Amino acid sequence: MGRRDTINELCIRAGFMVLVYLVFALQLPNYHTATGIAALLDGAVLIGTVSVGVGISMLAGEFDLSVGSLAALTGIIVVQVVGLGVFPAMLVGVAFAAAIGALQGLAIGILGVNSLVFTIGSLIGLRGVAMVISGENSVTIPIDQLDEIDFFTDRYLGIFSPLSLGMVAVFVLFGLFLRYTRWGREIYAIGGGRNEAKAAGVPLLRPMVIAFTCSGALAGLGGSVLSLRLGSATPLGFDTLLLSAATTCLIGGIALDGGRGNVIGIAIGLFTLRFFITGVASLGAPYYVQNLAAGALLILVIAGQIGFRALHQRRAFHRA
Amino acid sequence: MNSLRIVADLIQTGSGGEIDPNTAARRRRAAQIMLAVGAIVLIALGGATTPSFLTFDNALVVIRQASVTGIVALGMSYVTISGNLFALSAEELAILTACIFGWLMRAKFGLALSLLATLVFAGLGGAVQGAIIGLGADPIITTLAFGGFFRGLASVVSQNQNILLETNAAEWLGTARPLGVPTQSWAFLILTPLAWFVLQKTRLGRVLLLTGANRAAARATGLRVGQAGLIGVTLLGICCGMAGISAAAQFGQAVANLFQGLNFDVIAAILVGGIALRGGQGSPIQAALGAAFIALLQNFMLLNDLSSGWRMTVVGALVTLATCVFHVLQRRR
Repeated sequence: MGRRDTINELCIRAGFMVLVYLVFALQLPNYHTATGIAALLDGAVLIGTVSVGVGISMLAGEFDLSVGSLAALTGIIVVQVVGLGVFPAMLVGVAFAAAIGALQGLAIGILGVNSLVFTIGSLIGLRGVAMVISGENSVTIPIDQLDEIDFFTDRYLGIFSPLSLGMVAVFVLFGLFLRYTRWGREIYAIGGGRNEAKAAGVPLLRPMVIAFTCSGALAGLGGSVLSLRLGSATPLGFDTLLLSAATTCLIGGIALDGGRGNVIGIAIGLFTLRFFITGVASLGAPYYVQNLAAGALLILVIAGQIGFRALHQRRAFHRA
Repeated sequence: MNSLRIVADLIQTGSGGEIDPNTAARRRRAAQIMLAVGAIVLIALGGATTPSFLTFDNALVVIRQASVTGIVALGMSYVTISGNLFALSAEELAILTACIFGWLMRAKFGLALSLLATLVFAGLGGAVQGAIIGLGADPIITTLAFGGFFRGLASVVSQNQNILLETNAAEWLGTARPLGVPTQSWAFLILTPLAWFVLQKTRLGRVLLLTGANRAAARATGLRVGQAGLIGVTLLGICCGMAGISAAAQFGQAVANLFQGLNFDVIAAILVGGIALRGGQGSPIQAALGAAFIALLQNFMLLNDLSSGWRMTVVGALVTLATCVFHVLQRRR
């Protein structure tokens, strides 16, 4: 797919995002205000961060289903070690999650197991570990340490908080990594065609481990940051995270069979999803309708992609 | 049937990376022996360490739980064998059908009509997923999406509260024990050989097996591969419907946290039973045995006061381990 095709596709997706925005913005006055935008950005931080990780695993032709459970587990660990200081605690969390991701990548890469099924197992197991460590209760930051997390609510330029700036940094860093480093291109290679990459001499294990380390680390980052900001973590939390991240990546044009997509697409998908969900919520729907809406949106996207592909094939067939 | 059999042999020996059918069968038998040994060890350990394990009442609990998981596992085995890996929406569809059944009963539609409508709805729920999957969508992501959708729909139908059936008409469905065996177990005992028969001895079953074994070759020989996926997931939907009806009938109400962990237990049952993930091999009986083992394991852990966190960790570890072990066993030597 050439450069122009990529830009074309991104423009179409961006157009869809703007459409969703307009549908709701025309009915809700708050969308344009600074506080509205700030809230939108903050609400997008968790899904955005984790989506980049899930997107990277998809680019490698795999899928990490365990991100929600890993985020919950990391959140619990981080809240319990926050006595070390906010940033050290976050570092511990991210390092732990990255290690889990690396282990998964190693197992999947060495054994050649289907990553979807393997990560179903870790999805269950990590959730269980989270419940065991937390004693099946929420864990909260002790009151005397609460002022350490106050800076999370600072505002820069009126709309950015440390969280949303962090998310922007994640997008930029990983976007550059994927596009301009050799390791990033190796991930695209094994996703685009495993056998072809092998024949071309691309190592298979390294990009696999890196991809899963990224998805693990970013899931851990999302979980830590959100738990620290809320001041508490619950073992059963982040249960809709996987669905939201998958929706974001698919709307953003990350191909499920791997090798295609980029972080700009993920950003577009992220905001399309957020516009949709916050719009539905602002129209007064109860919170459980949001699950319904997210699932419906993903189904629509999947059906749309299938329809497009069928149409494309038919047209190509007739043209040939 | 004859020509289909010739095609079947060609497809199954030709699919890349496969070991020959004899070795595959031998390894599958080895897996089943491991399962049987594991079950015996579990029962022995349970009997020795936990006083209430080997009682009649407990056996009844295990059998009933195994039956519900087993019925859904039978449906899931069709999905796996037809090459569509797993449907991650079984739990949510069961909850939704329980809510719908409860709603219909409460609205005084009568038992027969409620049953019919619920089962039709359950079948439709599966069919919609199956249609999209049959057109080429990824089964796991599609069913993940539908899972969220069904769960949201269940909350909407129930207004996020428990639906009380307000009538005892359905109670016998969930709690009766004709000849001492729970109704769910009768259903399970009848459905298992039926599922095996349909898969092994009918044309439909053959098409499912071949589609799972080698999708491209099946399509090349003119089989409708989309239909195979559709039918597999539809049957799973109906099984989830049965589970939902049984639970609503048994408890007299539909609650939101019904079937918690059912997706995991069913997936574990399929894996532990040794059904190949690539599809095209296996039998619903393996899924049934796997479900019985999982129910036994859950019961053992529960009686030993293992918290739900520990139980979940064990199931997760089991799924991961079974995936890796069977993958290594089924690789070409």
